[in-house]
Amino acid sequence: MQRRFIQIVGIIWTLVYASIIVWIYATEPRSFKEVATNSQVAAGVYEVNQEKFSNGLALFRRDQFRAARDEWSGADPAQRDPRTQFYIGYAWYREGWGRVYYDNALFKQGLEAVNRAINLAPNGTLVVDDPNLQMHSAAELKAELEQGTERSWKDLNPLKLFRQRK
Amino acid sequence: MKDRAERNRELLHFIVLPTVLLTAAFLGGLRVDGQTRQFIFIAPPLVTLVLAILLGSLFIRAGAIDLRRWLAIEQPMLTNVSHLLTLMSLFFASAQAFNSVLPESGLLHWMFSFFFLWTLWTNQFSTFDPRRLLRSIIILFGTAFVLKHLLVSALYAPEGGWLRTIASAVLQGISIDVPRFAPITGYISFFALALYVGGLLLIAPVPVQPGATPAYKLALREDAISEVSDPPCPDIQL
Repeated sequence: MQRRFIQIVGIIWTLVYASIIVWIYATEPRSFKEVATNSQVAAGVYEVNQEKFSNGLALFRRDQFRAARDEWSGADPAQRDPRTQFYIGYAWYREGWGRVYYDNALFKQGLEAVNRAINLAPNGTLVVDDPNLQMHSAAELKAELEQGTERSWKDLNPLKLFRQRK
Repeated sequence: MKDRAERNRELLHFIVLPTVLLTAAFLGGLRVDGQTRQFIFIAPPLVTLVLAILLGSLFIRAGAIDLRRWLAIEQPMLTNVSHLLTLMSLFFASAQAFNSVLPESGLLHWMFSFFFLWTLWTNQFSTFDPRRLLRSIIILFGTAFVLKHLLVSALYAPEGGWLRTIASAVLQGISIDVPRFAPITGYISFFALALYVGGLLLIAPVPVQPGATPAYKLALREDAISEVSDPPCPDIQL
């Protein structure tokens, strides 16, 4: 009876320990802090740091986009919150927007962030109710960023100088 | 007293042994970046899986593991499942032990892989006993550890040294790509190998059966050893 009990405990423990090792190799945490964050995500208790998120929002509204992104990266280190990822994408858009031309590299990073937001959102639909923004859905932002990275004859239209940043 | 010994032996066999082997497997692929000090997890490359199969085959041929007694149709299912998990842990620990002492990329990776493959392949046709095989494995991994973590890392250390001066003169024009890891990587590799060897020491050629008398256990062990302990052969050499 005792042998049977030890065997069952041994089997369960070996399977759990092996799963933890496989999970660590799959998620590739770069520090003990990331191990803790990934564990929170896996346990379903992961939450965005609201204070850092609000700080990022205040910086975003003052057009300090890089600082805002830094704050949001700290607020959502595991990149699991669709709203924060949407705002990070929006910050890339606003920083890359130019009256004469768009910064392609910044727009591409914005696209990556907004794609993450769409993937994380339930049903792939994300709407952010923020009156300070002109684009409220992730789909709109994605379309704007995609258009910005495409090259066409319309780019030579001089009337584009009068366009407005969203 | 006898019950306590029996229980401790079972704890060692069913819980401690897989834990030791899995920890060796975990540490075998762990590196720490030399500049950022961040963790880098390197999954076992394909060649290490091939090497682990060859080493497993050596374990069986040398009688370090009597597969017919580890996995048998007459045994209870739980025992077989438990033994299968331990053998799988041993396989991955072996693969990660190779991963730990193989250079990660470039010419040295392929040179080390080739020497390991050559050594293990030629030893498939030699005769071994478990004790001799264990000694040979310690020498094999010890040599590779010294080469990778002491010599090669010293050759390409940023601060340089006389070894580096000689190497740059000898290998002039030959580019050898060696990733820079923090010194703690060598310590991690050392502990991974120590755990792996410790795990090998804990593995009994024949798992102990419940209620077996000491005389029966001894007979089983000697039976397993005598099946393969033919004339001694030279140790594995790199």
